[in-house]
Parts: sequence; structure tokens; C-alpha cells
Amino acid sequence: MELEGVHLTLVSAAGPVNVLRGIDLAAVPGETLAVVGPSGSGKTSTLLVAAGLERATQGRVAVAGQDLGGMSEDELAMLRRERVGIVFQSFHLMATMTALENVAVPLELAGRRDALDRARACLEAVGLGARTGHYPGELSGGEQQRVAIARAFGPSPAAIFADEPTGNLDGETGRRALDALFGLAADGGTTLILVTHDPGLAARCARQVRIEDGRIAS
Amino acid sequence: MRADLALAWRLARREMRGGLAGFRIFLLCIAIGVAAIAAVHSVSMAVQAGIARDARALHGGDLAVRATYVPADGVARADFAALGRVSEVVEMRAMARGGGDAALVELKAVDGAYPLVGDIRLSGGMALEDALADGGAVVEPLLLERLGLAVGDRVEIGGGSFTVRATLEREPDRAVGLFSFGPRFMVDMEGLGRTGLVQPGSLVRYKYRIALDDPGRTVAELRRLAGGYADRGWRVTGIGSAAPGLRQTIRRLTLFMTLVGLAASIIGGIGVANAVRAHLASRRPAIATLGCLGATTRLIGLTFGLQIAAMTVLAILAGLAAGAAAPFLFVGLLETYLPVDLALGLYPGPLVLAAAFGALTSAVFSLPPLAAAARRPPVALFRDVEAAGGERAGLAAILAAAGLAVLLAVLAVATAPDRILALWFVAGTLAAYGIFFAAATATVRLARHFRSAGPGALRRALAALARPGGETGGLLLSLGFGVTVLVAVASVEEGLSRQLREEIPAGAPTHFFIDIQPDQAERFDAVIAGTPGAVLDRRTPHLRARIASIDGVPAAEAQVPENARWAIRGERGLTWSAEQPEGAEIVAGNWWPADYSGPPLVSFDANLAHAFGLEPGDRIAFNILGRTVEAEIANLRRIAWRTLRMQFTTIFAPGTLDRAPQTYIATVRAPPEAETGLTAAMAAALPNVSAIRVKDALALVTELVAQMGIAIRLVAAVGLAAGLAVLAGAIAAGRRRRQRDAVVFKVLGATRADLVRSYMLEFAMLGGVAALLGSFLGLAAGYVLLEEVMDIAWTAPVATAAATALAAIAVTALFGFLGTWRVLGQPAAPALREP
Repeated sequence: MELEGVHLTLVSAAGPVNVLRGIDLAAVPGETLAVVGPSGSGKTSTLLVAAGLERATQGRVAVAGQDLGGMSEDELAMLRRERVGIVFQSFHLMATMTALENVAVPLELAGRRDALDRARACLEAVGLGARTGHYPGELSGGEQQRVAIARAFGPSPAAIFADEPTGNLDGETGRRALDALFGLAADGGTTLILVTHDPGLAARCARQVRIEDGRIAS
Repeated sequence: MRADLALAWRLARREMRGGLAGFRIFLLCIAIGVAAIAAVHSVSMAVQAGIARDARALHGGDLAVRATYVPADGVARADFAALGRVSEVVEMRAMARGGGDAALVELKAVDGAYPLVGDIRLSGGMALEDALADGGAVVEPLLLERLGLAVGDRVEIGGGSFTVRATLEREPDRAVGLFSFGPRFMVDMEGLGRTGLVQPGSLVRYKYRIALDDPGRTVAELRRLAGGYADRGWRVTGIGSAAPGLRQTIRRLTLFMTLVGLAASIIGGIGVANAVRAHLASRRPAIATLGCLGATTRLIGLTFGLQIAAMTVLAILAGLAAGAAAPFLFVGLLETYLPVDLALGLYPGPLVLAAAFGALTSAVFSLPPLAAAARRPPVALFRDVEAAGGERAGLAAILAAAGLAVLLAVLAVATAPDRILALWFVAGTLAAYGIFFAAATATVRLARHFRSAGPGALRRALAALARPGGETGGLLLSLGFGVTVLVAVASVEEGLSRQLREEIPAGAPTHFFIDIQPDQAERFDAVIAGTPGAVLDRRTPHLRARIASIDGVPAAEAQVPENARWAIRGERGLTWSAEQPEGAEIVAGNWWPADYSGPPLVSFDANLAHAFGLEPGDRIAFNILGRTVEAEIANLRRIAWRTLRMQFTTIFAPGTLDRAPQTYIATVRAPPEAETGLTAAMAAALPNVSAIRVKDALALVTELVAQMGIAIRLVAAVGLAAGLAVLAGAIAAGRRRRQRDAVVFKVLGATRADLVRSYMLEFAMLGGVAALLGSFLGLAAGYVLLEEVMDIAWTAPVATAAATALAAIAVTALFGFLGTWRVLGQPAAPALREP
């Protein structure tokens, strides 16, 4: 993953807001990187731009060797389904789908015939092999986050972007989810970029980057 | 593509596990429209199939020859007899006297062969031959009721006296139309002779019905007969033209009711759009998540499109079931009003049409919100995109929806029997849509502009109206359309009933007298003069004629618009006169001199002339008693039909028809207390002269309109049901937002009363705008329907419109109140704990 001189300006009713002001950031394959900083500093926006969910106003963004700048929305979607996994703070599981089906979605989108088998294996890897048929409403918060992690790792992505992955979980539950996250990343040699304001979590990453006021501070 | 479709279907099925609750309004809106159209067309088909099934009986035989004034001669009768079995029927109007009163009847004399086809059923199971033998008669029960008589009593007609032996329960060939002036009075040929009413020039119809020995000869014989006798003014018909009047009436009723059904569909369509938008709004996180996981816009569109398609199929099936059941449910009611038995059955045509309307409506109204939702950027999971104005459908989706809307309009126009009217309906609907859309935009803008004015409750209400992505537009459209339909229907009903009940113009005649023989004119005038208070309004010669050619083109081949075809279809009355009739306005050409005697000239109705493309100097030919008379059009008259005075589309100049066999027709004004006496005195003095009381005729029309009013109200109720469903749906759609807002307001210290005030204000303002615009558009639609289509005077039904508008405001406020009351009762804490 590479960000070079990335700027992001959002237009609001009160006028344009410069969210990112020249971010240079790169992660090598298999690296674990924590993005930290105060609220409103631009951490999440950096992640959105890197995951191709938000277009940079200026600068270059590349993921898995592909420049995102010239790609259409649908090309970005196809890149995400195969090469990028995302873990959200509030999980965002489909309420009407079982844990197994939730994990299978990106695999099915990528047209993989073994979607359900692979999904089952991923759930087992996060310790939820016994709960494949449960709906999100029947799972605890920690279990839901582990389903979301399994979903992100399903297609064996090159990079995983995680936004405050334990923000909604208590200490012990959060720790188990993180074990799953770091374990899978290490097993697959996946680049892991996570946004957090939890120093403990940031310390588990190989490298930390601090963002303040839309710029890399350290 | 197939893999995409399979995946989309799999995702759609998983998505739908949440249940169909969100689709209730959607299902209702589509099903109501489909059911209305399927029901109207199914009933219409059942009636038409009933006519077709019983066509031979209704027609009286395979072939029918109708001659007026003069019976067929021996040569013609021999021709008929060579084709098969023949039955002769003679019909005329007459006055029946009995029980000290007199009543107009439709006299029908039948021979021994009647009925050739079908069965006649008399009370007590009596045989027709027995009933009519030895001065017997069979009558419709209505006559006995009018004269206060019973079976076994005697009734006089002309110079004959008859004993009523039985009442008529079923007359196989009665279904000529929905409308007749008097009850049936059936006698045999000998009885007709005893009345002495068959006089030269009196309006007598001779009908020869032929049951062909070899039905295969029909077409050839029809042509030969038509060719051989057309110059005598005879009408030769095959069973294909059984009950033409009834068919025409059914076609028109079907058209009107289909249009109302379509209006219901369009109102429902707004509900469809609202429901789809609300459903997709509730699925926003799912849509954005799918996007984050790599689903393309296309796949997301396909997934939710398949859901909507599945729901549409479900709704259409429900609507079709209800529509197809309609003829079976209403058979009892319909058969009391219609002179045919319904051919009950499942008719695929109407169902296919209704399904097509339903599918197109769903597609037109679902596509824009669906396309907008599919474009929702995945970043919406992280940021409230809606606050920036929400997503909009792409140009391709909007064009596709517009294309489908055009297809819907084309289908509506192409399947309507009166395309011009259907086209006007489509244009009117589009215009109304545009107006409501503009009004919605303007309301939101105004609310935004004034949102910081006034007291708190008003400010909150205005803010809610101005809220981006709110339901203002949907509510305004559905409510406004509903009010439009209601006010338009009320306008038409009110116009019709006022025309019939109150607006009998001052100085209008109270009686029409017909069939006055030329030598009876003096005695007729004497009877009028001898009745205190009665005044002869006008007495004028009367002949029956058929238009033979229009400016040299035979009438059958002339291009005549649908609304003027009645004039060439059968015989119409005409007159001749030296003087210009009182009140007639000449719009082109000049009236002839009083002492004119030259080549034939006519004065013609300006409206018909316009429809026929005729101007003064053009020529028009009439078949009068078998003779063709061609005349030059001297002038065009504008006729004021509404005065209820005697009016003729055609008036000849003197010199052409003076010596033709003719009768007089007269209009008389009599005070109410002299009405019964005048009828009885005339029946006694001149038994062959028929009296039509204007009051009775109007009562008959009023009854007919009342019957149609039931149908109109029924369909208006369907429109209203669709409107209410939409209203409920739109309010339900906003409930979540209201819930959230209410919690925040409560946390900040707002009481329930505060919230109720602002909600009611919000809905009352919306209802007010919708009611105002809807009333205005409804009045305009009523004006067009009455003045332009029905030629009935329009006055603004202010009270009805105001009542409808107030009711609409009240209903909206009430719905708003009911829809939010539950929200207000909920404690704030659980909602606050939600992420």
C-alpha cells in the first residue's frame, strides 16, 4: 500500500474542509501498521482513501500494486472483493444472513465456487466453527466482530483495513478478537493497517504512524 | 450475466428473511390498481360474452330486417321465407289506459312463430299462445304498478280492449338498450289490428326475423338482402350486431372505469415509490456494506430489483385473483341492471392487460429510487451522506423510467376504445404530476425560507417539511391526487344530478305528444285548449330519416369521429319549417325566405356539421321512407339542447316534404295539477297519440344516472383506498426519523403536547397545500369532463370541494397524529443506547 502526497477536501454546507493535507504513507507486504491520533485528525479518512472508499482530491494511492486514481467505482469494488478486507468498528454484518452467509458474501462476489467451504474454514479459524448457522442478532458483540474479521480475511486479501476494531468491545472480548485479527494476518502474510486511539492496541503493531490535523506527525 | 443473476437472487432471498412487513403498502398499492382494472375488464368481458352467447336470441334470429312505417310486401316476404323460418314482430309506442289513468307503453305485436330463438317466460308458467289468445295481453309488472292494476284486469289501447293474462318475466330479444320509455305491452297480430293504431305516417316498426335453414348462407344472403332492399331504407342485420346500444354503453362505461382504475394505479404508484424508497432506506447499511465488500452498483441494483420484482409478482397475483372474482361476486347486482345474463368465466385478456399495467406501474415508480439507492457510495457507512442531499438516480435510470412511463401511456391509450379521451387522461395526469411536483419543491423551499419564523411548534413543523430527503413530496403527490380524483368525481356527480333535478329551465315543456295524425291536429289543439292552464308550446311535422350520404360519400363509408357516429347509426327525427325556430342561432349561411319553394334545402346542426366536415353549400342525402332525398345545406344552427325543448338536427325548407306521410309532434306546458288530467283526456280523445311526461323521462334518466353513480362511487372508493394506503405508507416511512427526533426533543425537555402540536401542524400544512391544489385540479378536471365531454353546464361545486379539502386536511392531521402517537409514548433510554 502506498499513499503519496494525498490531499482530501470535503465540501460541506459550511464550505470546504481540508481533511487530509499531504499524507505520505507506505506499508510493505505482511507489515502491521497502526494509525493513531486524536479525534478528527484524519485517521479514518486516511483509511477510507487507502481502501478506495473515498477518492483523494490530490495525490497518488496504490494498493496491491494497482493505482486507484484511474479506476471506476465498479473497478474499485472488484479490487476490494479480491484484494482488500475491511473491518468496521460497528461490525456491519447483514442482519438477515447467518454468520456463514455473511462470511461467504465477498467470496461469492468474487465468484468463488468454494465460497461456503472457505467461509466455514475462516469461521473455524476465528473460533466460531460451532456458530456458523447463527444470525448476527444471536451472537455477542465479540463474536460478531470475529465474524466480521473472518469475512475480511475470506478472500485472502493483500491488505486488511481495520477502523477501531475493538472500539465497541470490552477488554477481554476485544483481546480475543484482536488475537484472531493478528493471527490471521500473520498466517496469510497480509498487510494490516488499523486505525485506533488505543495505545495498547497500537503497541501490538510493528509500526505506528501518528496523524494530527491531516498530516503525518510522526 | 447469468452468474450475476443467480448471485443476486441468492442475496435477494437472504435479504428478504427480514420479512415482508416493509412491503405491505407496496403490495397493497399494486394490488389495488391491478384488481380495479382486472375487475372492470373481466365484468365487461363477461357482459360482452353474454351478449355474444345469447346473440341469436337477443337478435331474434340469424337475420333481421327492419322496416319503418310500411310493412314488407309479398315479394319480400317470399324472399324471407325462402331463407328459413320467419317471424314477424310489429313495435310502436302507445298509450295504455286503465284504472282511471294512462301510461306510455312499448307495444309489441307478435305472430305465432315468435320467439324463433330462445324462450319467453311468463308468470305462472303460462304459454305465450294461451296468454295472447282471445284479446289477451302480456305486460311488464311495471305497467300494472303504474296503473294500479293486477293480472286479470282490462287495459285499453287505442280502440282495442285487452285482458292482462300474465306478466313478462323474460323476453329473449328485449336487450336492445338500457333505456326505454315505457313498459312492454305484448299482444298478437289480431290484437294489434283491433287497436286501430297502425295509421299511415305513424311510427311503426316491422321486424322480420329469419332463422336460416342453412346458417352457412348468412354472409351471402345478408349482402344480397342488403343490396336488394337498401334503397327502401330497410336495415338488415346479422347476429354480429345484436344489442348494439348495450355494447356501446358497456364500452363507454368500461373506458370510464378503466381510467379511474388507472388513476388509482397512478396514485398507488406514488405509494410504490415511497415504499421502495423506505424499504431501501432501511437497507442502507446492508447496501453500503455490500459495496464495501466489493459488490458493483449493478449487482446491488439487481439484488434489490429482484426483490421488488418478486413482490410485484405477488401483488399482481393477488390483484388478479380479486379482479377475476369480481364478475362472480357482483353477478347478482349486475344482472338486475343489465338486460343480459353474464357469461361467467375466467377471461385471460383482461388479466393479462391488468398484469401489464401493474408490472409497468411498479417498474416506472420503483426504478428511480432503486437506481438512486444502488449508487449509494460505500463510504456512507462512515459518514452521513444523506445530509448532503442524498443520492440521485443516474440519467440512464431516469431515461429508462421515462421510457417505461411512455410505454404505460401507450398501453393505456392503445387499449382504450376512445383514444382521444384516453390521451387527454394521460396528458392531464402528466400535467397534474408536474404541478404537484413543482408544488412539493416550492413547499420545501418556502418552509426552508420561513423555518426560523414563528413560535417553536411552527418552527419545528417547518423544519420537518424542509428536511432534505423528507417525505413532503410523496405525501403531497398522493394526497393531492386523491383530492383531485374525489373533487372531480364529486363535480361530475353534482353536475349530472343538478342537470337532472333542479335545472329544468323555466318555461320548459311538461309533455311531449307524438304520433299526432295530420287530420287530428285540430282536435289535439282543442284538447289542450280545453285543459285549464295547459298551453301548446309548439306543434311541428315529424318524419324519421336516416343519413344516406355525406357530401356524396355513402354514410357507411364516411369518416365520422366516434362522438358523432350516433347520428349516422340509425333513424333520427327531422322536420320542415318555413320560419326559423325560436332561440336557434345561425352560425353560418342564411335562413330561407318564408315562401321558399325550390330545390331541397336543409338547416343542419353546427356541431354535427363540424364533425362531418360540412359547410353551407355542401350536400347531404337522407333516406326518408325508402326514398333518397339529397339537399343542399343552406345554413348551420347552434342548438341549445339544454333547454329541453323540441330540437331537430335537420330542418328542411318547405316544398320538399310537405306531401310526404308524416305526423305531428307537440310540446305542451301544463301546471302540475293539470298533468294527470291532460294525459287521460288526450288518451281518451286521441287514443293513438302517445304522451311522454318530461318528469317521467327525467326520473328514468335520473335512475339510470344513479345506477351509474354506484359504479362511479365504487371506483372512486378504490382511488381513495389507494390514496389512504399511500398516505399511511408515507407516514410510516417517516416514523423512524420521527422516533429519533422525538427522543432527542424529549431529552432536551419537550413534552408530548409540544411534539403533538408540531407534528399536527406539519401534517395540517401539508394537507392544506395538497387539498388546495387538489381541489383546484379536481374542479378543472370536472369542468373538462362536464362541459367538453358530456355537454353539461358546470358550476363550481364550492361546498363539496371545500368539504373534501377540509376532510383531506383533517385526515392527514389525524393520520399524522396516529402515526406518531406510538412514538411519543416510548421511553427515550433504549433509543439512546442504539448505536
